Amino acid sequence: MVLTLLGAGLIGAVIGLIVLRGGFYNIAATAQHYPLIYTVFEEGLQYSVQNHARDIQVPAGLGAPEQVRRGAAVYGANCIQCHGGPGVAPLQQGMSMQPVPGPLVDADLNWETRELYWITRNGIKMSGMPAWEYHLSDNDIWAVVAFVSAMPNMTTEDFRRMTAPGDAPAIATQGDQP
Amino acid sequence: MSAARITALTALTMLLAACGPTRPAPGIQGDPERGKIALTQYACHSCHTVPSIAGSKVYVGRPLGDMAERRYIAGKVPNTQDNLVRWIMDPQAIDPDNAMPNMGVSERDAIDISAYLLSQ
Repeated sequence: MVLTLLGAGLIGAVIGLIVLRGGFYNIAATAQHYPLIYTVFEEGLQYSVQNHARDIQVPAGLGAPEQVRRGAAVYGANCIQCHGGPGVAPLQQGMSMQPVPGPLVDADLNWETRELYWITRNGIKMSGMPAWEYHLSDNDIWAVVAFVSAMPNMTTEDFRRMTAPGDAPAIATQGDQP
Repeated sequence: MSAARITALTALTMLLAACGPTRPAPGIQGDPERGKIALTQYACHSCHTVPSIAGSKVYVGRPLGDMAERRYIAGKVPNTQDNLVRWIMDPQAIDPDNAMPNMGVSERDAIDISAYLLSQ
Protein backbone atom coordinates (compact mmCIF):
# COMPACT_ATOMS: atom_id res chain seq x y z
CA MET A 1 0.00 0.00 0.00
CA VAL A 2 2.69 2.47 1.05
CA LEU A 3 4.85 1.40 -1.87
CA THR A 4 1.94 1.89 -4.29
CA LEU A 5 1.35 5.41 -2.98
CA LEU A 6 5.03 6.24 -3.15
CA GLY A 7 5.19 4.87 -6.69
CA ALA A 8 2.16 6.92 -7.76
CA GLY A 9 3.69 10.02 -6.15
CA LEU A 10 6.97 9.43 -7.97
CA ILE A 11 5.24 8.96 -11.34
CA GLY A 12 3.24 12.17 -10.72
CA ALA A 13 6.42 14.07 -9.86
CA VAL A 14 8.16 12.82 -13.01
CA ILE A 15 5.20 13.83 -15.20
CA GLY A 16 5.10 17.23 -13.49
CA LEU A 17 8.81 17.71 -14.10
CA ILE A 18 8.44 16.76 -17.78
CA VAL A 19 5.61 19.28 -18.26
CA LEU A 20 7.58 21.96 -16.38
CA ARG A 21 10.93 21.43 -18.12
CA GLY A 22 9.35 20.75 -21.51
CA GLY A 23 7.92 24.27 -21.53
CA PHE A 24 4.57 22.92 -22.72
CA TYR A 25 2.51 25.26 -20.59
CA ASN A 26 1.78 28.39 -22.63
CA ILE A 27 2.71 31.39 -20.49
CA ALA A 28 1.58 33.94 -23.14
CA ALA A 29 -0.76 36.65 -21.91
CA THR A 30 -2.90 36.03 -25.00
CA ALA A 31 -3.68 32.49 -23.79
CA GLN A 32 -6.44 32.66 -21.20
CA HIS A 33 -6.52 30.54 -18.05
CA TYR A 34 -8.65 27.43 -17.98
CA PRO A 35 -11.88 28.44 -16.21
CA LEU A 36 -11.25 26.03 -13.31
CA ILE A 37 -7.74 27.42 -12.69
CA TYR A 38 -9.08 30.98 -12.85
CA THR A 39 -11.79 30.14 -10.33
CA VAL A 40 -9.34 28.49 -7.90
CA PHE A 41 -6.98 31.51 -8.06
CA GLU A 42 -9.85 33.93 -7.62
CA GLU A 43 -11.31 32.09 -4.62
CA GLY A 44 -7.87 31.89 -3.03
CA LEU A 45 -7.51 35.65 -3.52
CA GLN A 46 -10.91 36.30 -1.96
CA TYR A 47 -10.21 34.20 1.16
CA SER A 48 -6.70 35.57 1.58
CA VAL A 49 -7.87 39.19 1.48
CA GLN A 50 -10.79 38.46 3.82
CA ASN A 51 -8.39 36.89 6.30
CA HIS A 52 -5.68 39.52 6.18
CA ALA A 53 -8.04 42.51 6.25
CA ARG A 54 -10.22 41.27 9.11
CA ASP A 55 -8.78 43.52 11.83
CA ILE A 56 -8.71 46.76 9.84
CA GLN A 57 -10.91 49.52 11.25
CA VAL A 58 -12.55 51.83 8.71
CA PRO A 59 -12.10 55.45 9.90
CA ALA A 60 -15.30 57.15 11.02
CA GLY A 61 -16.73 59.61 8.52
CA LEU A 62 -15.12 57.98 5.46
CA GLY A 63 -16.57 59.44 2.25
CA ALA A 64 -16.81 63.14 3.16
CA PRO A 65 -17.00 65.23 -0.05
CA GLU A 66 -13.53 66.71 0.36
CA GLN A 67 -12.00 63.28 0.91
CA VAL A 68 -13.77 61.92 -2.19
CA ARG A 69 -12.37 64.84 -4.24
CA ARG A 70 -8.90 64.09 -2.93
CA GLY A 71 -9.41 60.41 -3.77
CA ALA A 72 -10.46 61.33 -7.30
CA ALA A 73 -7.17 63.14 -7.82
CA VAL A 74 -5.21 60.16 -6.45
CA TYR A 75 -7.22 57.84 -8.71
CA GLY A 76 -6.60 60.01 -11.75
CA ALA A 77 -2.87 60.08 -11.01
CA ASN A 78 -2.31 56.41 -10.14
CA CYS A 79 -5.23 54.06 -10.87
CA ILE A 80 -7.02 55.13 -14.04
CA GLN A 81 -4.09 53.99 -16.23
CA CYS A 82 -4.91 50.33 -15.60
CA HIS A 83 -8.49 50.34 -14.26
CA GLY A 84 -10.11 53.04 -16.38
CA GLY A 85 -13.52 54.17 -15.14
CA PRO A 86 -17.06 54.90 -16.30
CA GLY A 87 -16.69 56.07 -19.91
CA VAL A 88 -12.89 56.22 -19.64
CA ALA A 89 -10.67 53.51 -21.15
CA PRO A 90 -7.52 52.32 -19.40
CA LEU A 91 -4.23 52.69 -21.25
CA GLN A 92 -3.24 49.87 -23.60
CA GLN A 93 -0.86 48.53 -20.95
CA GLY A 94 -3.83 48.08 -18.61
CA MET A 95 -6.32 46.64 -21.08
CA SER A 96 -4.00 43.91 -22.35
CA MET A 97 -2.69 42.68 -18.98
CA GLN A 98 -3.50 39.23 -17.72
CA PRO A 99 -5.22 39.01 -15.33
CA VAL A 100 -7.09 42.04 -16.60
CA PRO A 101 -7.18 44.82 -13.96
CA GLY A 102 -10.92 45.19 -14.23
CA PRO A 103 -13.41 47.94 -13.47
CA LEU A 104 -13.80 49.28 -9.92
CA VAL A 105 -17.34 50.64 -10.23
CA ASP A 106 -18.53 47.24 -8.97
CA ALA A 107 -15.75 46.81 -6.37
CA ASP A 108 -18.24 47.18 -3.51
CA LEU A 109 -20.05 44.04 -4.72
CA ASN A 110 -16.94 41.92 -4.20
CA TRP A 111 -15.14 43.60 -1.31
CA GLU A 112 -15.79 45.21 2.06
CA THR A 113 -14.40 48.73 2.49
CA ARG A 114 -11.59 47.47 4.79
CA GLU A 115 -10.65 44.91 2.11
CA LEU A 116 -10.39 47.61 -0.58
CA TYR A 117 -8.01 49.46 1.74
CA TRP A 118 -5.94 46.31 2.31
CA ILE A 119 -5.69 45.54 -1.42
CA THR A 120 -4.70 49.12 -2.27
CA ARG A 121 -2.10 49.25 0.50
CA ASN A 122 -0.59 45.78 0.02
CA GLY A 123 -1.17 44.97 -3.64
CA ILE A 124 -1.85 41.49 -5.05
CA LYS A 125 1.03 39.17 -5.88
CA MET A 126 1.29 37.94 -9.52
CA SER A 127 -1.66 40.07 -10.61
CA GLY A 128 0.07 43.31 -11.56
CA MET A 129 -1.66 45.18 -8.72
CA PRO A 130 1.09 47.15 -6.99
CA ALA A 131 1.32 47.83 -3.27
CA TRP A 132 0.84 51.52 -2.55
CA GLU A 133 1.95 51.52 1.09
CA TYR A 134 5.37 53.00 0.31
CA HIS A 135 4.15 55.36 -2.43
CA LEU A 136 1.00 56.96 -1.03
CA SER A 137 0.22 58.35 2.41
CA ASP A 138 -2.29 56.46 4.51
CA ASN A 139 -4.71 59.39 4.14
CA ASP A 140 -4.47 59.14 0.35
CA ILE A 141 -5.08 55.38 0.40
CA TRP A 142 -8.25 55.91 2.44
CA ALA A 143 -9.23 58.80 0.15
CA VAL A 144 -8.98 56.64 -2.95
CA VAL A 145 -11.00 53.92 -1.20
CA ALA A 146 -13.64 56.56 -0.44
CA PHE A 147 -13.63 57.64 -4.10
CA VAL A 148 -13.97 54.06 -5.40
CA SER A 149 -16.84 53.50 -2.97
CA ALA A 150 -18.58 56.58 -4.39
CA MET A 151 -18.11 55.58 -8.05
CA PRO A 152 -21.39 53.63 -8.48
CA ASN A 153 -23.35 56.89 -8.08
CA MET A 154 -21.34 58.88 -10.62
CA THR A 155 -22.27 59.68 -14.21
CA THR A 156 -19.55 59.35 -16.82
CA GLU A 157 -19.41 63.17 -16.84
CA ASP A 158 -18.92 63.32 -13.02
CA PHE A 159 -16.17 60.74 -13.23
CA ARG A 160 -14.35 62.48 -16.07
CA ARG A 161 -14.54 65.89 -14.40
CA MET A 162 -13.37 64.67 -10.98
CA THR A 163 -10.40 62.67 -12.25
CA ALA A 164 -9.27 65.21 -14.85
CA PRO A 165 -5.67 66.33 -14.34
CA GLY A 166 -5.50 69.80 -12.87
CA ASP A 167 -8.69 69.37 -10.85
CA ALA A 168 -8.02 70.90 -7.40
CA PRO A 169 -5.49 68.82 -5.38
CA ALA A 170 -4.24 66.50 -8.11
CA ILE A 171 -0.60 67.50 -8.00
CA ALA A 172 0.16 66.48 -4.43
CA THR A 173 0.19 62.70 -4.87
CA GLN A 174 3.96 62.47 -5.05
CA GLY A 175 4.69 65.05 -2.39
CA ASP A 176 2.55 63.74 0.47
CA GLN A 177 4.60 60.73 1.55
CA PRO A 178 3.85 58.69 4.69
CA MET B 1 -15.63 16.29 -62.85
CA SER B 2 -11.94 15.45 -62.86
CA ALA B 3 -10.27 13.32 -60.22
CA ALA B 4 -8.21 16.30 -59.11
CA ARG B 5 -11.33 18.41 -58.56
CA ILE B 6 -13.02 15.63 -56.62
CA THR B 7 -9.93 15.30 -54.43
CA ALA B 8 -9.81 19.05 -53.88
CA LEU B 9 -13.51 19.22 -53.04
CA THR B 10 -13.20 16.29 -50.62
CA ALA B 11 -10.24 17.97 -48.94
CA LEU B 12 -12.18 21.24 -48.69
CA THR B 13 -15.20 19.47 -47.18
CA MET B 14 -13.02 17.72 -44.63
CA LEU B 15 -11.29 20.99 -43.79
CA LEU B 16 -14.63 22.72 -43.23
CA ALA B 17 -15.90 19.82 -41.10
CA ALA B 18 -12.71 19.95 -39.01
CA CYS B 19 -13.35 23.64 -38.34
CA GLY B 20 -16.49 22.69 -36.42
CA PRO B 21 -17.86 25.36 -34.08
CA THR B 22 -15.00 27.78 -34.81
CA ARG B 23 -16.32 28.80 -38.23
CA PRO B 24 -18.42 31.95 -38.36
CA ALA B 25 -22.20 31.76 -38.35
CA PRO B 26 -23.77 32.08 -41.85
CA GLY B 27 -23.53 35.59 -43.28
CA ILE B 28 -20.99 36.72 -40.69
CA GLN B 29 -17.71 38.32 -41.80
CA GLY B 30 -14.41 37.93 -39.98
CA ASP B 31 -12.49 35.34 -38.01
CA PRO B 32 -14.21 34.34 -34.76
CA GLU B 33 -11.19 32.50 -33.34
CA ARG B 34 -8.99 35.55 -33.79
CA GLY B 35 -11.78 37.68 -32.38
CA LYS B 36 -11.92 35.52 -29.25
CA ILE B 37 -8.30 36.42 -28.49
CA ALA B 38 -8.64 40.03 -29.66
CA LEU B 39 -11.50 40.72 -27.27
CA THR B 40 -9.28 39.77 -24.32
CA GLN B 41 -6.62 42.23 -25.53
CA TYR B 42 -9.11 45.11 -25.31
CA ALA B 43 -10.31 43.96 -21.86
CA CYS B 44 -13.90 43.30 -23.03
CA HIS B 45 -14.06 40.51 -20.44
CA SER B 46 -13.16 42.89 -17.62
CA CYS B 47 -16.70 44.34 -17.69
CA HIS B 48 -18.69 41.69 -19.63
CA THR B 49 -19.00 37.97 -19.04
CA VAL B 50 -18.15 36.37 -22.39
CA PRO B 51 -18.85 32.76 -23.44
CA SER B 52 -15.81 30.45 -23.10
CA ILE B 53 -13.57 33.19 -21.63
CA ALA B 54 -12.38 32.64 -18.06
CA GLY B 55 -13.15 35.64 -15.91
CA SER B 56 -14.80 37.02 -12.81
CA LYS B 57 -18.52 37.47 -12.39
CA VAL B 58 -18.90 41.11 -13.37
CA TYR B 59 -22.00 43.26 -13.36
CA VAL B 60 -20.71 46.32 -15.20
CA GLY B 61 -21.52 45.62 -18.85
CA ARG B 62 -24.21 43.23 -20.02
CA PRO B 63 -23.35 39.54 -20.44
CA LEU B 64 -22.45 38.84 -24.09
CA GLY B 65 -23.75 35.28 -24.28
CA ASP B 66 -26.74 35.90 -26.52
CA MET B 67 -25.55 38.49 -29.00
CA ALA B 68 -26.79 36.52 -32.02
CA GLU B 69 -30.37 36.71 -30.67
CA ARG B 70 -30.21 40.28 -29.45
CA ARG B 71 -32.39 42.67 -31.54
CA TYR B 72 -30.89 46.02 -30.48
CA ILE B 73 -27.50 47.35 -29.41
CA ALA B 74 -27.73 49.53 -26.30
CA GLY B 75 -31.45 49.91 -27.09
CA LYS B 76 -30.44 52.30 -29.88
CA VAL B 77 -29.67 50.61 -33.19
CA PRO B 78 -30.59 47.26 -34.83
CA ASN B 79 -28.13 44.50 -34.00
CA THR B 80 -26.54 43.98 -37.42
CA GLN B 81 -22.87 43.06 -37.70
CA ASP B 82 -22.10 46.47 -39.23
CA ASN B 83 -23.72 48.24 -36.29
CA LEU B 84 -21.98 45.97 -33.80
CA VAL B 85 -18.62 46.81 -35.39
CA ARG B 86 -19.47 50.53 -35.18
CA TRP B 87 -20.50 50.08 -31.55
CA ILE B 88 -17.32 48.23 -30.56
CA MET B 89 -15.15 50.87 -32.24
CA ASP B 90 -16.93 53.95 -30.88
CA PRO B 91 -19.88 53.45 -28.51
CA GLN B 92 -20.32 57.20 -27.95
CA ALA B 93 -21.02 57.74 -31.66
CA ILE B 94 -24.22 55.76 -31.09
CA ASP B 95 -24.96 56.64 -27.45
CA PRO B 96 -23.05 59.72 -26.20
CA ASP B 97 -23.55 59.15 -22.45
CA ASN B 98 -22.82 55.44 -22.51
CA ALA B 99 -20.38 54.24 -19.82
CA MET B 100 -18.64 51.78 -22.15
CA PRO B 101 -15.35 53.46 -23.06
CA ASN B 102 -13.95 53.79 -26.56
CA MET B 103 -11.19 51.17 -26.27
CA GLY B 104 -9.45 52.14 -29.51
CA VAL B 105 -10.38 48.91 -31.29
CA SER B 106 -9.20 48.73 -34.92
CA GLU B 107 -11.71 47.88 -37.66
CA ARG B 108 -10.19 44.47 -38.34
CA ASP B 109 -10.23 43.55 -34.65
CA ALA B 110 -13.80 44.85 -34.25
CA ILE B 111 -14.97 42.72 -37.20
CA ASP B 112 -13.32 39.61 -35.72
CA ILE B 113 -14.67 40.34 -32.22
CA SER B 114 -18.18 40.81 -33.62
CA ALA B 115 -17.76 37.54 -35.59
CA TYR B 116 -16.99 35.71 -32.34
CA LEU B 117 -19.89 37.29 -30.44
CA LEU B 118 -22.38 36.64 -33.26
CA SER B 119 -21.26 33.02 -33.69
CA GLN B 120 -22.03 31.98 -30.11
